[in-house]
Amino acid sequence: MAINLTRRNFLKTASIAAAGIPLSKVVARAETGIAKAPLIPPGSFKDTKTVTGGICEMCFWRCQLVGKVRGDRLVKLEGNPKSIDNGQNLCARGNSGIKLVYDPDRLKYPMKNIGKRGAPKWQKISWDEALNICADKLQATIDKYGPKGIAVWYHGASAHYPNAYFDYLGVANKYEPAFYQCRGQTAMAMMQTLGFVPNEDVDMPNSKAMLLVGCHIGENIHLSHVKNFLKGLENGSKVVVVDPRFSAAAAKAHIWVQIKPGTDTAFLLGLMNYMFDKGIYNKTFAKKYCLGLKRLKKHVAEWTVEKTAAECDIPAKQIVEVAELLAKNAPNVSIHPGRHAAWYGNDFQRVRANACLTAILGAMDCPGGIVRIKRMSSGHVHWPEVDHEEDPEEMALAEVVEKYPFRPPGTPPELMRDTMISGKPYPIKSLVVWGTNSIKTMPRQERTEKALANMDFIMVTDVTPTDITMWADILLPEASYLERYDHVEKGTQWNQGDKPQQFLSARMPLIDPMFERKDPVWIINELAKRMGHGKDIPVRNQEEYVNHLLKETGLTIAKLRKLDGIYIQPGESPYLKKGEEPKFDTDSGKIELYSEAMEDEDFPPLPTYTKTTEPPKGFARMIYGRSPVHTFNRTANNAWLAREIPENPLWINDESAKKMGLKDGDRVFLENQDGKKSVSSTVVKTTPGIRKDCLFIAHGFGTFNPAMTVGYHKGIDDNSLNTKINREGETGISGMRINFVRIVKDGKVIDIPA
Amino acid sequence: MKPDHDSNTAETFPPSMSATLADIYSFLALLMRYPEESFFDDEFLDTLEDLLKSLDLQPYQERIAYWRSSVADQLLDAQVEYTRLFINGAPHVIAPPYGSVYLEGEQSLQGKSTETTRDFYRQYGFDIVNKAEPADHISLELEFLSCLYRQEEITAAEKFLHTFFRPWFEPFYQQLMPELRHPLYEVSMQLISFFVQEDQ
Repeated sequence: MAINLTRRNFLKTASIAAAGIPLSKVVARAETGIAKAPLIPPGSFKDTKTVTGGICEMCFWRCQLVGKVRGDRLVKLEGNPKSIDNGQNLCARGNSGIKLVYDPDRLKYPMKNIGKRGAPKWQKISWDEALNICADKLQATIDKYGPKGIAVWYHGASAHYPNAYFDYLGVANKYEPAFYQCRGQTAMAMMQTLGFVPNEDVDMPNSKAMLLVGCHIGENIHLSHVKNFLKGLENGSKVVVVDPRFSAAAAKAHIWVQIKPGTDTAFLLGLMNYMFDKGIYNKTFAKKYCLGLKRLKKHVAEWTVEKTAAECDIPAKQIVEVAELLAKNAPNVSIHPGRHAAWYGNDFQRVRANACLTAILGAMDCPGGIVRIKRMSSGHVHWPEVDHEEDPEEMALAEVVEKYPFRPPGTPPELMRDTMISGKPYPIKSLVVWGTNSIKTMPRQERTEKALANMDFIMVTDVTPTDITMWADILLPEASYLERYDHVEKGTQWNQGDKPQQFLSARMPLIDPMFERKDPVWIINELAKRMGHGKDIPVRNQEEYVNHLLKETGLTIAKLRKLDGIYIQPGESPYLKKGEEPKFDTDSGKIELYSEAMEDEDFPPLPTYTKTTEPPKGFARMIYGRSPVHTFNRTANNAWLAREIPENPLWINDESAKKMGLKDGDRVFLENQDGKKSVSSTVVKTTPGIRKDCLFIAHGFGTFNPAMTVGYHKGIDDNSLNTKINREGETGISGMRINFVRIVKDGKVIDIPA
Repeated sequence: MKPDHDSNTAETFPPSMSATLADIYSFLALLMRYPEESFFDDEFLDTLEDLLKSLDLQPYQERIAYWRSSVADQLLDAQVEYTRLFINGAPHVIAPPYGSVYLEGEQSLQGKSTETTRDFYRQYGFDIVNKAEPADHISLELEFLSCLYRQEEITAAEKFLHTFFRPWFEPFYQQLMPELRHPLYEVSMQLISFFVQEDQ
């Protein structure tokens, strides 16, 4: 039915009737959205101003940026010209922050799910109602089960203040994917061996050789890190890349070791054995600073060049070549510690082997080595100390079950999830999710969904409607990194070989948040007031929060603003001065090649290789990595980035593809060893640059939530195929590269040829 | 591009009609706003029914009446449907009610066209009250039209409809159409479509 009346006719006839209806009366009761304002003549000069103080969070490298703002509108992002880190550069993602800010799909108002978890039906509600519900539900859980009945899954700078509050509440179990699906072992095994966490502070520009084991620099674009890598190349450093795949870094390598997946530890042990055997390791350093050198020598003796070559399926001469290259250039070699380490479930040992290799080359605290960069320090905001009936640290699940002694901060997620399902050793019945999409981070998605279904209450705070938001009872919209204050970034000039400088910057908003999006300090304080903790609130608002973090530096937001967002002062070289002795914060005060602490906990005290599962017949190992313009699923809905790389092409060895009748551009699904099929499909990329026993896709694609209209079902979600995990005893971190896949094309299953 | 409507248009709008149109547009603006307790009640819905009757749209009025009689909590029902259509639907929002989403190459809020829309408001001595909402929300544009008619700025209103409103209303309506199952929003969109159409 359509209205068969022209407006003109209406005005002539019906308007008279309509005039009698008290429209203005009902309208008068609503607040006006448009009001009288000073007349602004057309063509008035409108300035585009530069707003400083931005810190990027399209990924977590935190480049410093400025925004070009016209009226209320952010029109462009650029690197902060004052930055000594990323400089004026931003990567593709950094530039595309604007499309996140103005994404129509972004969360705008607090929502209540009046449908089912996983199949939501949303009602927009007020902040007051939303926070009242959150407070009531969380309090009900505390009353019934104690604070340990609440679990927190979080990620990113915006979760720091909320976390401090949940600590105050006595929450015992928190999980962050940054540790448990990424860097956990890199941090903990390095700590255990060297007594410090090098992160990725590797002095590549000043190295003579570099060894990257499974590092995807160039696909994983952390700006100053890529600059370091490229500067090293420019300066003539020789690069060894160990990877089953011809990655972006492999494309720059002098030696590409196309290793069989899962055998990296054997390779590292083989390198060490060759160096010991030939006496070409850094004897002075190793003898002086390492504990267990003799035992390590004996331990790796079985890894002859021949045995290593056979195990790793690589030419024996490559092992010799790499060992000679590294030894010849020691100590000025970058043995990269890696980043994402949750590969096979034996990764703590691999990182230990990496640390031991670094140690016997003495490749630290010197040009080219891993360096202990001297940054400024800043403070923390804590809520007051409270005595809890049960000590949250003792109630942490890993403590209760007495497992995972070398775990990173927090609770292993699968352990927590098991508890959420079983109620043992105690019930967890409320979940707070802050800025992390656990559907895409935690393997075995069906277990995650089961755990979510078992909760009494789920509160989710996020910026975009990611997959996990579909499971929220209450969904809260957060201001993005361009619209809030929070993180204090500290660093140095990007090249450690340059004049030492230190910088400090704090995240400041470039624009005001739109709609009803709120910053985390406001959200938590309002929640705390409703839970009866108003008197203990440590900072009143986000500005006060950041000023508190800055307190010990003598800086304030106002001062930083005057400095165009970045404070710079003279720094200190990370290289040891002549005669200066390195210090190692381990139990023994030395680098622990042999770890008594590990022995005490019944783990191998020397880095040990364990074989990983082989692919069943007809399947290949699924390996995953990064897409250069995406940060996992966080950027899946970004229109600019999705236009550049909309999905994750499936890398297949070209000879295998030929046998399978596949060609570039074919659309395929994947099916794993347990019969789990990918929900969405992707395109085939055939290449000689990958081994026949594995397939590669970038992680973070195949969004499940249709509310992400750009990213929905684009590409394959690798994590949906991670139905098997291998939980490592040292850390509780699960290896995920033990899942195997084959191809499904046009409904037909195609086996992968051997 | 068509020339701006000339002063003849204004001649067809005597002051009383202009005032009526101002009332109608402000009412339409409310129909496109998130239903809140403050205004969304029986009197509001009675008024809607009266308006439909006055336009000889009995079948529409009956649909609204039937919906009112069959749904206990009309406010909640309208809120959930509004959320689904315009805010954060499941599976996804049907049609974000912002001009820039339809006028600019890539779906985006707060685009260049949002800026020019707001500039237009300000040229006529108006501005948005809540700076956190983009100026080109359909409800705000309708309210602005109401303000113009109230001031008898007929030519400006016609120009706004022609230059700003209609170019995005059509694709917006098209995007919404297949999902317009709820009587309240089907009728609301028909009404708006009628009142913003170009005279033949």
